[in-house]
Amino acid sequence: MIMSDAIFSRPTHTFDGMMEECSPSTVSIREFGCEQNLLSRSDGSASFIQGNTSVLAAVYGPAEVKVSKEIYDRATLEVIIQPKVGLPSVKERAQEQCVRETCEASLLLSLHPRSSLTLVLQELHNDGSLLSCFLNAGCMAMMDAGLPMSCLFCGVTCAIHTDGTIITDPTAAQEAESRALMTFAIDSKEHQVMMTSTKGSFSVQEMQQCIAVSQAASEKIFSFHRESLRRRYSKSV
Amino acid sequence: MLSRLKAKVGSVLLPGDEFCLDTTGADTISLAGPSKANKVVCGPGLRRSGDRLLVYKSGLLRHKEPNMFWMDAQHKRYVPAKGETVIGIVTSKSGDVFKVDIGGSEQASLSYLAFEGATKRNRPNVQVGDLLFAQLIVANKDMEAELVCVDSAGRANGMGVFGAGGLLFRVSLGLARRLLAPQSDLRAELEQLFPCEMVVGMNGRLWVKSTGVQRTLVLANLLESCENLTPVQRRQLFGKLAQGAL
Amino acid sequence: MAAGFKTADPLEYHRSFLKENCRPDGRELHEFRTTTVNIGSISTADGSALVKLGNTTVICGVKAELANPSVEATGKGFIVPNVDLPPLCSSQFRPGPPGEQAQAASQFMADIIESSEMLQMEDLCIERGKLCWSLYCDLICLDYDGNLLDACALTMLAALKNTRLPKVRVNGETGAPEVDLGKRRGLKIRRHPVAASFCIFDDSVLLVDPAAEEEQLATARLTVVTDEEGRLCGVHKPGGTPLSGERLQELIGRATVRQKEIHRLIDKVIKSIV
Repeated sequence: MIMSDAIFSRPTHTFDGMMEECSPSTVSIREFGCEQNLLSRSDGSASFIQGNTSVLAAVYGPAEVKVSKEIYDRATLEVIIQPKVGLPSVKERAQEQCVRETCEASLLLSLHPRSSLTLVLQELHNDGSLLSCFLNAGCMAMMDAGLPMSCLFCGVTCAIHTDGTIITDPTAAQEAESRALMTFAIDSKEHQVMMTSTKGSFSVQEMQQCIAVSQAASEKIFSFHRESLRRRYSKSV
Repeated sequence: MLSRLKAKVGSVLLPGDEFCLDTTGADTISLAGPSKANKVVCGPGLRRSGDRLLVYKSGLLRHKEPNMFWMDAQHKRYVPAKGETVIGIVTSKSGDVFKVDIGGSEQASLSYLAFEGATKRNRPNVQVGDLLFAQLIVANKDMEAELVCVDSAGRANGMGVFGAGGLLFRVSLGLARRLLAPQSDLRAELEQLFPCEMVVGMNGRLWVKSTGVQRTLVLANLLESCENLTPVQRRQLFGKLAQGAL
Repeated sequence: MAAGFKTADPLEYHRSFLKENCRPDGRELHEFRTTTVNIGSISTADGSALVKLGNTTVICGVKAELANPSVEATGKGFIVPNVDLPPLCSSQFRPGPPGEQAQAASQFMADIIESSEMLQMEDLCIERGKLCWSLYCDLICLDYDGNLLDACALTMLAALKNTRLPKVRVNGETGAPEVDLGKRRGLKIRRHPVAASFCIFDDSVLLVDPAAEEEQLATARLTVVTDEEGRLCGVHKPGGTPLSGERLQELIGRATVRQKEIHRLIDKVIKSIV
């Protein structure tokens, strides 16, 4: 029997999910939610939903490692991204690299030398901001598995519309008509940029604005992390 | 000085949370006098860096007098720790050691001499596939874990091969710890329900045996469902079962 | 003695150099390695270039093939970059299908072309809906000594600048393409995106153009791609140590300077050949 805790954060300003514009002062992201510990066989699992985008993540480890991949002073982290249809391609490989190196920076891998950690991310539905959803689901799953982490992180995607407005957490339609797209991973300690991945061309000022917006949006996600954990543990006290 | 930390006892903390430990002579080793009472002991999930206390696992902060702190969480994967008693499965015999799967990242080794009364001539009867209740005497991240089936006095003390006719299954580590707690409500309630034998490993493995296969299975299902029940819900469930079963 | 120190504790070895504000290969912290560009190195290719960035050597050949445009974009051609890291270039690569690094680099090259709009895909169209060019940019690393992305991006740019496509006419009656190999013209390169890579050592020290060993010991890597107008066409940081916005600003400044240097270098090389 599996029982899990699903919690959804409803921002005070709810939108119909289509048109939301924001300046750094009023950052809005789509409705997001998370369910932890929903798989029975994995050591940690989570599903993360941002608007209609949804990702399922599972963590296995620390487990036995293949001799060829063994690292003597830290754990080997492997990230596998599965697209909704078809086999993983070059694009997924590039995303895997981004997610893996972000996770490596936040995990304390030296506490489990000569072991393997595997993070599997399954895309369930893509309606924009997929990479940030991968990051968020991955972080929740690793937290659920109880892996030692120096800090948490979250992913935020920003799109710059052709008229110059910045849209946080864009939908697929908004992504398609945007001029530039940036995804950042923000750490929970100092709210700095751990990862960036961009598409399209943009000016330096625009990027700095997007970083500021993402940092503001990350606050919401981090307070959600705390709230969802609190609900989860409220039962076991 | 530790008031901020103590105020958080029982609440949820996340990786990256920090506490400042005031080091005005109190919790450093002072030559002047015995100040051991203020020494902070960090358990699992907490580590010290200089005068800061860092949280590296999510969960509830727990406290034990005088100054012991640790993070309590519901995890599934076992990480071996020295002194813990676990249930292992013998996977191979090689030379004079057995390899035992204890659910950690690598297999633990168990010498054939680490049994009560074992000598070079008198080998213990252990077969591949047997269940063992054993204690970890070496468990650290850089070395292979090592088990023994004797206590410091050379007595078996409940350890060794066991498990005829029972059922082994996995629960979360948190539930295993709750069952092993000195005053466990859960255990007391179970005892009232059925007569049973139970072996609890800190590695989240549980072995139960009751009178009859049916009762054993009922017990196993009950324990698995306890994972997500609040004490009130649990009592209701147990109450229903007691009426139906009797 | 020094060699032993380097093998035993490479991290400490590098730290002792960085303390003196220099690097084991004699460079300053914000100094790029000597960059050499050679174009037209492969006479049988439609365009080619060989770039050396210190020891890192990358060769690129551009092969143009005639293709049918896709149904979704009838007026556009294709450009397919592919990065290969053969076992020849370093002991860290094994034979077999491309590894994660090679695939991520290929994707990064494709992203640069798309983001910077250095080539208009419409320019590669010969006849709308019927015929277009498909350019295969094969990048092969011959010697791997770090900073693969910079070297690949530069080689690809130089090779595309060097590419000369033959004139093609579609026969009105038969519909078959007629290629006139004698008449060739160059591609119109609209932007010159240049990548500049950095790495962060010990969560604090910033190094420009990391060598293989520095890359391995670094706590974070970062690549900034800029064009001649100072616009960013890619800020790629796959993870690692968190950085503040101010720190990024500093790196972008350095990358813009680098773009100017490289742009000048390429122009010089192209001129020297004509």
